Amino acid sequence: MSPLLDVRGIAKRFGGLQAVGDLSFQLEAGEILALLGPNGAGKTTAFNMIAGYTRPDSGEILFQGRNIARARPWTICRAGIARTFQLSKPFADLTVIENLMVGGFARSRDASAIRDKAEAIADFLGMGRQADTEVQHLTAFDRRKLELGRALSTEPVLLLMDEVVAGATPAEGQEMVALVRRIRDRGVTILIVEHVMKVIMALSERVIVMESGRLIADGAPRDVVNQPEVLKAYFGEQYAAARA
Amino acid sequence: MDPLILSFALVNGLLIGGIYGGVALGLSLIFGVMRVVNFAHGSLLMLALYAAFWLQALAGIDPYASVVVTVPLLFAVGFLIQSVVIAPLIRRESALVVEPLSALLLTAGVYLVIDNLALMAFGPDVRSASTSLALAPLMLGPIPVNMQRLIAFSAAILAAVLLSLWLRSTRLGRAIRATAQNRDAAVLSGIDVPMIYAVTFGIGAALLGLFGSLLATFIPITPQVGLSFGIRSFIVVVLGGIGSIPGSIVGGLVIGVFEALASQFVPATSAAILSLGLFILILLVRPSGLMGRA
Amino acid sequence: MTTARPDRLRSPTVPRPDEIRAPSLPAAPGRRPRDAGTGFGTLGLIALMTLAAMALPLVVTDSYLLHSCIVVLFFAYMATAWNFVCGYVGQLSIGHAMFAGIGGYATVLLFTGLGLSPWLGMPVGGLLAALLSVVVGYPTFRLRGPYFALTTIAFAEMIRIWVENTDTVLGIPLNGAAGLTVPLRGESLAALQFNGKAPYYWVIVGLLAGALTATWWLEHSKLGFYLKAIRGDRDAAESLGISPARYQLVALAISAFMTGIGGGFYAQFFRYVNAERLIGVDLSIDMALMSIIGGQGTVFGPLLGAVLLAPLAEITRGHLGGSLLGLHIVVYGIILMLAVLYLPKGLIAPLRSLLARLGLLGRGGRR
Repeated sequence: MSPLLDVRGIAKRFGGLQAVGDLSFQLEAGEILALLGPNGAGKTTAFNMIAGYTRPDSGEILFQGRNIARARPWTICRAGIARTFQLSKPFADLTVIENLMVGGFARSRDASAIRDKAEAIADFLGMGRQADTEVQHLTAFDRRKLELGRALSTEPVLLLMDEVVAGATPAEGQEMVALVRRIRDRGVTILIVEHVMKVIMALSERVIVMESGRLIADGAPRDVVNQPEVLKAYFGEQYAAARA
Repeated sequence: MDPLILSFALVNGLLIGGIYGGVALGLSLIFGVMRVVNFAHGSLLMLALYAAFWLQALAGIDPYASVVVTVPLLFAVGFLIQSVVIAPLIRRESALVVEPLSALLLTAGVYLVIDNLALMAFGPDVRSASTSLALAPLMLGPIPVNMQRLIAFSAAILAAVLLSLWLRSTRLGRAIRATAQNRDAAVLSGIDVPMIYAVTFGIGAALLGLFGSLLATFIPITPQVGLSFGIRSFIVVVLGGIGSIPGSIVGGLVIGVFEALASQFVPATSAAILSLGLFILILLVRPSGLMGRA
Repeated sequence: MTTARPDRLRSPTVPRPDEIRAPSLPAAPGRRPRDAGTGFGTLGLIALMTLAAMALPLVVTDSYLLHSCIVVLFFAYMATAWNFVCGYVGQLSIGHAMFAGIGGYATVLLFTGLGLSPWLGMPVGGLLAALLSVVVGYPTFRLRGPYFALTTIAFAEMIRIWVENTDTVLGIPLNGAAGLTVPLRGESLAALQFNGKAPYYWVIVGLLAGALTATWWLEHSKLGFYLKAIRGDRDAAESLGISPARYQLVALAISAFMTGIGGGFYAQFFRYVNAERLIGVDLSIDMALMSIIGGQGTVFGPLLGAVLLAPLAEITRGHLGGSLLGLHIVVYGIILMLAVLYLPKGLIAPLRSLLARLGLLGRGGRR
């Protein structure tokens, strides 16, 4: 069976900087794949190219066999890919339920059915009690959860997450990790861009690592974190040499 | 087309254009520092024109001499508008960032109040001031150059140069530029940002005080005169690059020459339509303007 | 360019997203009342207000008073039309009068030129306004905040200056600054001309009821949710399947259609149109101010704003004579500044919480 997402040699240059150069990887249905790399490795650019927020200069992105490279974000959403933002971007003057309803209109016109689904998602997030709260009154962590729920409201096949636990306390991080697992268990494939190694160890079966716009490792988390290239990328030459 | 008439139009366009640029300086400065589009910009010019007019009518002060009153007066008005009307918005937004649309609405309120108070106080009659100085036209070859316009034009260039120098070389000027570039960093380095905002608004208005006195001798003064200058200043500033001092003068010259030459070939109203069209086009194609950084 | 189309993207062999099933749990018992916020109360309120308003001419027979009521309701209608796009998408248009202008001029010209009844001329004018709005809106909606506002002024001013200085175009008489008068036909339902004020009053009440109902529909519709999402955060909206350009244009076209019909009504009621009054920046500012002060992005906010502000103009004009010309606008300006500073959600916000405290408004009644 062909992979759910097949990224084939995408590249992006900003002025003189080759942010991503010839990046290829595949994502199987049902997987949680983590995309790692130090700051400036091109993770966010790669992420934005898949989500349609940045146009690749070259290459193809096949989703369910169709090329979505250079498609606009709303088209990609309707194709079945949802995303979250690193800095959560809630609709501040709408309530939790209203935030969770917006995405539903991509799949249905029936406002009352959409409301039911939004309430189910609010319960899933453990935010049922805050359903009628305006989002501007929520805590930062609740906004992050809402961001996740809002992505789910578009009923995605593939969920792109730009950092899972940024700014969360350890307890909140655990809650988030549990949520992501449950989303996967319901049949949603997930691609995560993440800094925090611990989160990745707990979540994903497979990680890929980027450095200077290229892929330098692909494999199980435990194997990948011990590869010299990865250590070098994260901690510098000397550390890698000392470990070797 | 007669080359003499054309060069006369060109000279006139340059003069008027420089004046447009000078009038727009304050709008550009205020936007550059505070990100506030001052909708009341033209209204402040109108106030300055009336100040010059009444100083002559009541106290017999020549419009050119009235500069010593109109400049500080308008500075005070600008300072007050910022600290009374706009500062509460900044306090509410807490992060010292002005929400641009709210600020526009506030200054639109100021525009409505000032223009209509002027209408109530001064009536709709057209007034004009005159100078006692004998100002014969300067002959540039065969082309006569109106002295009042030349004075205002020179003042515009001089004001732009002095303002740039002042922003670069004085302590206060540097604080203003620092605030424009990075508000948060300015706060951290101990700059009193609300005070800087008030001073900036004051300077922007004081420049209009200057031009109120200089234009009073050849502009018909009515309560509505502000809006057309205001709209033209928006065009000039957008064209030259919002926040750019030289851009303001360049934008003014371009619009002045454009309107003067266009009106040689098409009716003046079509020239006005064309400059509005130019404004829209610049906003859509190159919102940073001619001199602005993208 | 190979922009993928959503319908072609989904391969039939892969289960549709809704079959994969986003998490669904049964709603916890005893929670939120399901009727909260469905808003049929709002629709009922519109119907009730319409009926009550329709009955007014049976009580008020004073022609001047009825005239003033028509003017107030005209502004309420125009502000409601403005709010339909600007209030919900959070953009400030100060050029909406251009849509009123095209509607008004079209209604008059179709009547004088082709003998078309204003009953048809008004919707045709509305359609022309919608067409103009797409031409203007397509490039403009990319701009944000003050840039958008200034561009809308520039567009409207271009049209105003052009109309004011054009006597005929393609054989159609525009009559320059003098404007157009509607030829008198006496009492005629077909020509939408009446000797008394009451029929005009009923027409504007009907139009206002329609505009309020449209706004009520918007609140609950996909379009309304999409506009509010674009207002909240454009990037996030795009990630939820929303093309901002498309939905903003749809809303603008509907708003322009309503505004154009309003311009047609203005022409019929005053039997006169000119560029300064119908396309000028004053009307645009009035529409925006009444919405903002009353409460933009709500069904009744613009109506509230118009009912509070428009009579001010009528009173100063009618009773105080020319001596205080402009006083009402000074008051507008002061109220605008106070509202922006202290009631950014408009006067309807405290009113609503007061009603809620008195228990007159259901839970979740954010309308």
